[in-house]
Amino acid sequence: MTSATDIPLKQPAISATAGDAEQLERAIIDASTRVPVLMFYASAMVWLLIGTLLAGFVSFDLHSPDWFSNVSFLTWGRLRPVEMNVMIYGWASMVGMGTAIWLMARLCRTTLRHPLLLVTGTCFWNIGVLVGVIAILMGYSTGYQWLEFPPYAALILLVAYALIISWAILMFRFRRGEQIYITQWYLLGAFLWFPWLYAATQVMLFVAPVQGVMQAVVGWWYANNLLFLWLGAIGLGTAYYMIPKVIGRPVYSYHLATIGFWTYALFSSWTGMQRLVDGPFPAWMITASISATILTIIPVATVGLNHHMTMQGYFPVMRYSPTLRFTVFGAMSYTIFSIVGILISLRSTARYLHFTEANVAYSQIGLYAFFTMIMFGSMYYIVPRLVGREWRYATLIKLHFWASAYGIGLLSLMLLVGGLVQGSSQDDPTLPFIESLQSVLPYLRGLSLAALLLTASHFIFAFHFGLMLFGLGRTSTVPTFLNPVEPEGSEPQL
Amino acid sequence: MNGKPSNPSSLTRQGMDYGETADVQEVHAAIQREKREPRVGLEPLSIWLIAVYGLAIFAGGAYLGRYSGNFSGDSLDIAYIPVKKTGPGGGPGGVTEAPLTPHDRGKKIFAANCQTCHQANGEGVPGQYPPLAGSEFTNGGSRRMAMIVMKGLQGPVKVKGQMYGTAVMQPWDKTLADQKIADVITYERSEWGNNASPVTAEQIAALRKELASHPESYSEHDILAAPDQDLPSGGAPAGNGPPKPGEAAKPAPPK
Amino acid sequence: MKGLIPLFIGLFGTFAFSWVGLTVIPNIQIGALNPQISPDDENDIYPMPQSGMVQLGRQVYAANGCIYCHSRQLRPDYASADLDRVRDAGPSPRPKWGERRSAPRDYVFDQPVLLGEERMGPDLADLGKAAPSAEESPAASPAAPAQSPSPAANTASPKPGAGGAPPSPAPPAMATNPSPTPNPNGTPPAYSEAWHHRHLYSPRSMSADTRDSNMPAYRFLYEKRRITGERSADALQLTGADAPPAGWEVVPTYEAKCLVAYLMAQDQSHPLKEVKSAPGAAPAAGSPAAQPGAPAASPAGSQPAAPKK
Repeated sequence: MTSATDIPLKQPAISATAGDAEQLERAIIDASTRVPVLMFYASAMVWLLIGTLLAGFVSFDLHSPDWFSNVSFLTWGRLRPVEMNVMIYGWASMVGMGTAIWLMARLCRTTLRHPLLLVTGTCFWNIGVLVGVIAILMGYSTGYQWLEFPPYAALILLVAYALIISWAILMFRFRRGEQIYITQWYLLGAFLWFPWLYAATQVMLFVAPVQGVMQAVVGWWYANNLLFLWLGAIGLGTAYYMIPKVIGRPVYSYHLATIGFWTYALFSSWTGMQRLVDGPFPAWMITASISATILTIIPVATVGLNHHMTMQGYFPVMRYSPTLRFTVFGAMSYTIFSIVGILISLRSTARYLHFTEANVAYSQIGLYAFFTMIMFGSMYYIVPRLVGREWRYATLIKLHFWASAYGIGLLSLMLLVGGLVQGSSQDDPTLPFIESLQSVLPYLRGLSLAALLLTASHFIFAFHFGLMLFGLGRTSTVPTFLNPVEPEGSEPQL
Repeated sequence: MNGKPSNPSSLTRQGMDYGETADVQEVHAAIQREKREPRVGLEPLSIWLIAVYGLAIFAGGAYLGRYSGNFSGDSLDIAYIPVKKTGPGGGPGGVTEAPLTPHDRGKKIFAANCQTCHQANGEGVPGQYPPLAGSEFTNGGSRRMAMIVMKGLQGPVKVKGQMYGTAVMQPWDKTLADQKIADVITYERSEWGNNASPVTAEQIAALRKELASHPESYSEHDILAAPDQDLPSGGAPAGNGPPKPGEAAKPAPPK
Repeated sequence: MKGLIPLFIGLFGTFAFSWVGLTVIPNIQIGALNPQISPDDENDIYPMPQSGMVQLGRQVYAANGCIYCHSRQLRPDYASADLDRVRDAGPSPRPKWGERRSAPRDYVFDQPVLLGEERMGPDLADLGKAAPSAEESPAASPAAPAQSPSPAANTASPKPGAGGAPPSPAPPAMATNPSPTPNPNGTPPAYSEAWHHRHLYSPRSMSADTRDSNMPAYRFLYEKRRITGERSADALQLTGADAPPAGWEVVPTYEAKCLVAYLMAQDQSHPLKEVKSAPGAAPAAGSPAAQPGAPAASPAGSQPAAPKK
């Protein structure tokens, strides 16, 4: 067992390195995944930039509301859903699919066949998101959170997805090796759950609409499942690959992984009603979701322990590896995400947090601190393998990490504390309602500051990614470390 | 196959190897230095983790048990469980309890329609809504009262020595059926110390026919012009106009 | 995991469990609700399907993302202070946010159902109820005239005279307010139609004091045009920086009118059997007893309202 000071980074120990045949195989697989994955990543980066700029505008508009009030497609009420949909369907889904494709190819140990399916799928997906965004801006939003794309845009997305999932099934069919690794469970889950989720929701809301408040139930069942069973599953699966891979150790426990996976699938899917606490619904539905949220302690504890024990003794590697740093940040955020989820669900705390910015904080922690950070980590790992170059500037990676970390940290803090303040004020009927808005305004200004940090971070990353895409990375055998590595026995470098 | 490890002393800025170039073979270096694909260990579950599971299951289960309202689709409040009907299955339209008396039915109609103005104790509101308790209209002949209820009353009216004039009573002939008008009048005439004759649906039906040509609401003058008599029983119309003063009303209204 | 079949069965099963449990079963329970018909009065139906302008207004509400700042649901009294709250505008006593919590039956005709996600601004469930009634100054009315189920839902009886009116019939969806009494400072009476138009056009001009709302101004829903002939009856009364130059007027577009119609139609004050009413309100139509007219097609094993605690 190598200890922390013995990290075989510059000269891999023979026992840890794969044999030549395996290396060749991986190289071929990577070469075959190049075009589709890079297409997904490039599209995702564009949507990320668009979404970040929108998020900044949305945030500023909250405390300076008179910008562009004459223009219908720049009004806050339309830009906010556009921002969320761009981030979810444009950025998160696409980067998730890109990473998932590469992981599937690697884990199935087979080259990527039929890349045309994926390329066409990417194009259709982009078109679908674009059509949906334009529709919302023109005033055709459906009014359901994260489902604002009108049905025709959703149809385009489903067509695109059909292409992608056909590919996934083919890949899996031709896989080699008997074991199905943990990551593959999560990815298979995600790939199978998403179309069912999306199609069922579209049918129940738009094709044969359910009546009355059931629409809200279906809408939030969908939104939470999107976060957990689509994005969250891809995120967790990726973390299960990246962490053991980078440090070269096996995942701690198979049993923990199994329990973690099934309890995650079972309980997370029931949490939809936590956004509708004390609403016009039979009490049992809300209670069921709250119980399920409490029970998600099980998968959180399990997965957290599994990762922690895997990393035991190897935490210093985070000093060097950008992938590990981002991924561990994301995996830790998953725990925080669940804690916040319990807080906003329990009726006693929901009294002060419901209908406040705390809900936004919950979504953002899940979407960004958990999922996006893991995806950044995966991109830092995968992209060099696709373009044959290393990341050029460690400084940019460090800036990216710290700006993102501080940005999302500040955002979460501002929205959670601001939400609590807002909710406490709303709970006091002797105060006029405007008071709750006044009490949260300083936090919204803090939110804008966080948005600035995140904008800077994303533009830095986009620039860096662009360099890689155009072959301007470093040619080197040595990966880009965040900090200089001290070889054993020599004096520290300055 | 591995490239030579870099000489530490050749490291420049940020510890990176800017000088090294094309020593990249067919299998590029990123893959060369990669560890093998991840695999899974088989450590057993920790007992503390099982304790955490137990706590979570207990907390979640307790919450579910406590606040589910019997999983019924009708209990919206966590502490409010609707009481099931005791009778044999109440389908829509099926009444399983004993039928209500006219008094009870009238009370319900009063509560739903009249109480907000005339108040639950029948005392009305001074200056606005005349009282029904002890009023000469309620205790007198049923005709005048029925006319007021059917067609409404406008303008000032003196009840029990007080003037009431600021409000308007709406007509109820279009909104309440005969049976209901009869029930509510019956109720009012026997409640709050009133002790006057009940009124039947047939009587109201007859009155409705009689007043069919009179579309507007009455004023006090019109009401006082009508005889202070009970409505004729048996449903027979008493003629085309209000009965002449002095003509006795037929007693014995059916129950 | 070695077996592919167990994996797929597991994936399918866990998802089906949540799909059935959280959408299919509740759909059976509350997905086919009918409006409540009062057993005493066949004309007292709640909720009623709304007019076309209100439906269009709902689309405008949905399209402009109003759910991101306004909710349309009232939480019960044990869970929140929603039912204790009064609105910020209007003469004393200010209209309450609502008389009772929201129930699934309130939303049977809503498509899409716009429950709202956050309260940057106040709840709108009973906003139409807060509008001043057709008579002037409802302050003198008796305690709870508008809470009993209005039996004369379709009659519009003329109401001469001022002051406390008997229970007015529920106003038709387009509650026009031909001659509202303006407030001393020139703003329209709170929550009237004219007030809504002005609030949408310029939210910050309605601030009572220096504390401003951050609601976006929906100016694109209004049209600034030259006055031709007479000033339009719909023209907004604007003062200060918002006022158009002389010879010009600001009128609402059809979309704005529909949106305001929708807002004025927001009324959840009608009592429902399954919901505890506010203390002091008239009991729900059909007090606890036999319910011959129980809402049709209730879930199996329908029940009357439980005795109030």
